[in-house]
Amino acid sequence: MAKKRKHTNWLGFVLLTAGSLIMIFPFVWMILSSFKTVSDVYAYPPRWIPSHWEFDNYVKVFQMIPFGRYYLNSIYTSVMQTLMEITICIMGAYAFVALDFPGKKMLNSLVRSTMFVPTIVTLIPMYVMVSKAHLVDTYAGIMLPQILSAFTLYLLVSFFSTIPKDLFDSAKLDGCGYYRILLNVVIPNSKSSISTAVMFAFLGHWKSYTWPLIITNKQQYRTLPIGMKYLVQESSSEYQVMMAASVMAIVPVLVVYMIFEKQLVKSITLTGMKA
Amino acid sequence: MSERKMTIGGKLYDKEQLRAATVLLLPLLIAILVLFIFPVFRVVFYSFSNYNLIKRNDFRIIGLDNFTYLFTDVKFGKALRNTFTFALSKLLLDTSIALVVALVLDTRIPLRHYLRSAYFAPVVVPIVASSLIWIWFFDPGIGPFNQIRAFLGLKPSQWIYGEKTALFSIVLFSIWKGVGYNIVLFLSGLQNIPDSYIEAAQVDGATNMQILWKIKLPLLRPITNFVIMMGIINTFKVFAEVNVMTPKGGPLYSTSLIVNYIYEQAFTNGKMGRACAASILLFAIIYLLTLIQNRMNASKTIDVE
Amino acid sequence: MNMKRVIMVLLASAILMGVYAQGQNEGKPAQSVEPTGPVKLQVWYALSGASGQTFVGQAQAFAKEHPEIELELTYSGSYADTATKVSAALLSGTAPDVAVMAAAQLYTGGQGNFEMESLVKDKDFDINDIYPGMQQYGMFSNRICALPYGISTQVLYYNKDIIAKSGIDLSTPPKTWDEFLKIAKATQQKGGAEYGFDTSDGVWLIKSMLSQNGNSIVEKKGDKVNPTFNQESGVQVATFWKKLVTEGVMPAGQHDNSEKKFLAGNMAFIAATSSRISKWKGNTSFALGAIPMPGFKKQSLALGGNVISIITTDKKKTAASWKLVKYMMQEPNQSAFALATGYLPVHKSSVNNPAVKEKVAGDPLYKVAIGQLDYAWAYLSFSEMGTMDNLIWGTLDEIEKGITEPKQAMDKAASDLLKEMKD
Repeated sequence: MAKKRKHTNWLGFVLLTAGSLIMIFPFVWMILSSFKTVSDVYAYPPRWIPSHWEFDNYVKVFQMIPFGRYYLNSIYTSVMQTLMEITICIMGAYAFVALDFPGKKMLNSLVRSTMFVPTIVTLIPMYVMVSKAHLVDTYAGIMLPQILSAFTLYLLVSFFSTIPKDLFDSAKLDGCGYYRILLNVVIPNSKSSISTAVMFAFLGHWKSYTWPLIITNKQQYRTLPIGMKYLVQESSSEYQVMMAASVMAIVPVLVVYMIFEKQLVKSITLTGMKA
Repeated sequence: MSERKMTIGGKLYDKEQLRAATVLLLPLLIAILVLFIFPVFRVVFYSFSNYNLIKRNDFRIIGLDNFTYLFTDVKFGKALRNTFTFALSKLLLDTSIALVVALVLDTRIPLRHYLRSAYFAPVVVPIVASSLIWIWFFDPGIGPFNQIRAFLGLKPSQWIYGEKTALFSIVLFSIWKGVGYNIVLFLSGLQNIPDSYIEAAQVDGATNMQILWKIKLPLLRPITNFVIMMGIINTFKVFAEVNVMTPKGGPLYSTSLIVNYIYEQAFTNGKMGRACAASILLFAIIYLLTLIQNRMNASKTIDVE
Repeated sequence: MNMKRVIMVLLASAILMGVYAQGQNEGKPAQSVEPTGPVKLQVWYALSGASGQTFVGQAQAFAKEHPEIELELTYSGSYADTATKVSAALLSGTAPDVAVMAAAQLYTGGQGNFEMESLVKDKDFDINDIYPGMQQYGMFSNRICALPYGISTQVLYYNKDIIAKSGIDLSTPPKTWDEFLKIAKATQQKGGAEYGFDTSDGVWLIKSMLSQNGNSIVEKKGDKVNPTFNQESGVQVATFWKKLVTEGVMPAGQHDNSEKKFLAGNMAFIAATSSRISKWKGNTSFALGAIPMPGFKKQSLALGGNVISIITTDKKKTAASWKLVKYMMQEPNQSAFALATGYLPVHKSSVNNPAVKEKVAGDPLYKVAIGQLDYAWAYLSFSEMGTMDNLIWGTLDEIEKGITEPKQAMDKAASDLLKEMKD
């Protein structure tokens, strides 16, 4: 949202654009490399522009690994996990912000502690638990252990707490129960925050690697990050194929980002901001 | 009014709130129990044992032996030092760069949409791919980074192959990869600041600097705290970047972070018990740091304390 | 933190710990009554690309001939990933029946399963046709519990263009490393190479070198394993290793980068796996050649690669698995696998196999690799092999960078290893 300034911030623009070139430079190189041939990749001095545009690399990706299947698996699991996670977290964040209950402090500490444990640490106990429940190589086995995210919860808590108290109070005066308040007051007023949370949650699930790696043995359940790793092994000297796969892997996330970004901007202009 | 309120542990609560809280928090509680408490107790249990993933040994409880090992292990000490150095540099650089970029992005500049996406793009690239790219960038012989250094008249650097430069190289990579997250967070926070506040201040004749210090930054406090807290937690959990770029822990073990150490103990050496003990220590460190951070922000945080 | 909360937490943890302590079993696969019908075998293979496809092709051919056995074939990832998965799967009783992976012995012999030792006595199977060094490669505690399958050694490749430019004649290749060092230096002085030599796997190479100098790396002492790499013969090798760096022939600490450098045409020689033969042939911007690896007191090469093993302990499945293993290991099949993938044949009789003969005649690189098999060798397998590899890697780093003297570095690695082997 443009803060009303008298003139454009040209200095800022120039600095930021310079910085942005650093940010996307590897990206550009990745796209260019995805069209190179083997000799281009190892050329010395290094070549930037491919000597001829090899579209075949993209085809090769599908030939080397069941890329399409991995893609679908990633989309399915990421979407489902995000849905479950966001639901649990919206409910929980709201309770933290709007309600008073015993053990609030303890629960807060507990939730916070869940963030201090990297996946590697609980990998084996979790694996044993899941395999005893016969959920190895199942979508449930992949998804359920990953729907706990204190990050998402706290993000929503941060955002929910910026909703002015008066909105709550006036809703209560109107006789709304707590669930109604959640649906009619909190959610509509946090569209941008929820969008941000959804975006991060989706991204996190899309990139998830360690757990899906160990819980899936069968090819049909594998997700994209794992597929990519296998591709590296398959094509250790075919760098350019790896780059092609990466380009394709990024597309859905960028799409999700673009969608939710618009939503972000839209909801801010629409919300008549509270004075 | 005894139908509307209830006393638990000496405090008064509203019954309706209690009912709502139970329902709303139930899924979260179940998730925490199954996905966190059960596995973590297992980990705690193992940390006092000689549980081995590779060797079939007699499973024994060995008390604090794993912990004493860690306190005397040179590698663990190195991993700790590396982690703190990494965390400090990354946190400082990442947060400040993100804040500055977000502040500028929030002003009137052209191509805002493109710029926002550009800064966020690295977050989206899969780590395997970006690591491969940066490994090439870091190549001492033919990589662009050293070409740039040569262009600027500097001596070539060893980047990830030199024990003095490896960790910092990974910090650079990590910042490139992650700053977009924080920028988006800061931007969301900035955009939540009502225009009316800014306008009112401008009408009163405040300069942009004053608006920045007196209105924007204070109102960004909750987000900043969140960013720093998540920064602390996440930098201590870093694993992938190091594992992909320097799989054996880097030259002279200079890039191995605590999580890499844990991974090596568990999966290369099979010493699950020891790995669990190290995890407990990691947990304790992160917990302490966030406690400290909380103390420092006692009155201003939005967290439920 | 109030008292009540602390008590609740302690109580909960006590209960949970108790519950889980009881559940501390390594799930043994159920010995259920098998229903009549095909025996289903879970086969995991850590073979990517062409290797995986070839393996699958042969396995499927087997399944066609044996309708009473049903195979479920799964590519399980890299050696490291597969090892992690098998470890984890063993804990919960979901391990595969047959696995093609590296160091499978740890999951068979290392777990007390030496069934393979009896199986190879099968009159349809000639264990003695397998190179002795390779047999060792599948042993644990000197007992067979896996069979060599996708085997490779390191090969000394070179850039023919650089060699030609340096005016060197490799028709009688150097027999010792000292001779080799001189040649490598010459390529830098006269051939324009940035570096004379490097290896993409220092740990693998130094193991070969140790053996060449009469060092066994580790030895069995009773029922314990003892490192011997820090004996005098080992220190000599480490000292030479350092010399490679101090004489400027090999860069320090850049092994991960070595293949790139070689492919970019900056390096004269590289010691890399024989599997690169199929990948690099025809794909280099220069003419590619290979010479037999030099030695110290003798020639010797450490084996690498994967083995095939039977993880299951269920009698019926073991019998079915053995049928599969026998089939895959038959000389024509195994040799065909090797030829298609760049691995090396494991049977001595493969030299008479016409397909092998043809390949050897037509591919000088392959000829070198096959020629080296006579002195290929495997050191003792033990549970802390992975740890030892890591230690040696760090040791090489320190030696190359001049941080520690060779003797001290080797001694330190040995004592660290002994410490790790204590339970």
